[in-house]
Amino acid sequence: MLYKTTLFFLILLFSNSAWNQVGIGTQNPQADLHVAGEMLVQENFEIQPLPSVSLVDEDFKFLTRVYNSSPAGEITVLNVDSLTVAPINVIDYRFTNISLDNLRDVNLQYDANKYVVGVANFRYVGDAIKKIPVGNTTSIGTFVLRTFISNGQWHLEIRNRDLNLNVGDSLEYFITLIVYDKSYYRNLPPITTNLGGSNSGTASSVPDIY
Amino acid sequence: MRLLLFITLAFFYITASGQVGINTNNPQATLDVQGNVKMDESLYLENPGNFEEIRGSKLLILSTTKEILEYDIAQSKYGPINYARFAFRNTSTYGLHDYDTKISTGDYIVSVQGYYFTAANNNTNVLLRSNNANENIEGYQIYAYPNEVTNTWFLRAFVNNSTFRSGANFLENPIDLFLNLIIYRNGFIAKSLSSITVNMGNLETGIAPLPPGF
Repeated sequence: MLYKTTLFFLILLFSNSAWNQVGIGTQNPQADLHVAGEMLVQENFEIQPLPSVSLVDEDFKFLTRVYNSSPAGEITVLNVDSLTVAPINVIDYRFTNISLDNLRDVNLQYDANKYVVGVANFRYVGDAIKKIPVGNTTSIGTFVLRTFISNGQWHLEIRNRDLNLNVGDSLEYFITLIVYDKSYYRNLPPITTNLGGSNSGTASSVPDIY
Repeated sequence: MRLLLFITLAFFYITASGQVGINTNNPQATLDVQGNVKMDESLYLENPGNFEEIRGSKLLILSTTKEILEYDIAQSKYGPINYARFAFRNTSTYGLHDYDTKISTGDYIVSVQGYYFTAANNNTNVLLRSNNANENIEGYQIYAYPNEVTNTWFLRAFVNNSTFRSGANFLENPIDLFLNLIIYRNGFIAKSLSSITVNMGNLETGIAPLPPGF
């Protein structure tokens, strides 16, 4: 108690009645509390009320908390431009010199534990695959475009599974991969519904996202 | 380490239990500032606690004027990820060849992540026919691309050498075209990386190079 009283009077020595703000490390505080240096909060940190973003704000950045800083918990700005891997990464791919129309299995090498990989912007550029007679009609085969996980990495399949481009014909595929980092993008368990031969149905379960 | 503490008037209190109040004589925490705080260097939160629900919280952002704000997507000009459904009525039987979205390539990354088409009045009785040969199964091209002259995103959605056909005798007719656009704010949580060309060497299987850092 004596110590605290001493501190109180010590502080008063630095006070000046002309000021109405507190500065730490500065004689010219610019806010009710102005810390001209670092600040460490070891327990809860509450701010209220916090102003909200407005309609005219642009180019703001998310804040993140770093686990392995020293001391722990440094608040930093998420500056996507300085990261090699962003939460969402958009990459155009072009596939050339394809065996007929068949990209049967391309290893994209993205670690399935870290990323979710989706496809956008599909382009099929080149010769047409030919229909083939099946009984009294003709088949257009089954065209597949998908990403899938194999041996812990994301893979790609693009092809007509049943039919092939004629030998001598050629095509190229262009796609855009959207690579999501799993620390921002949750991979939910698959939902399987047996439709019993019907063309409509109701989800067998709803993902737990609330 | 040099530490200087400068304070004010009567609005600075230390309670008997050691709590400090600024602009309050009844601090509710070890340090309670009734007012604004300015930090010139790093802020460390050693133990802020965890919030374990998806709903019921808002993300924090730092504005260009270095103010910490609550990120309310409903109030903000844009979200980190934005969805818009583009409906093209009475589109050419050849599909959509050039459409300027007027969305800036500097500010946003635009991608087509879903589509469908119908004949007029949501009639799903529509088919495609190659104009090169009856036996052709032509490829689709449905994508967004940056126009380097206008610096805006353009859309294309058509089937190679083909026309959309509908109605009696399946003649060439206009279609209604629907594209689902996912629009990422550039540099917020999304970024565009260098494009990759994969030479498959005439094989059905292969390995695409991984971009640096992944």
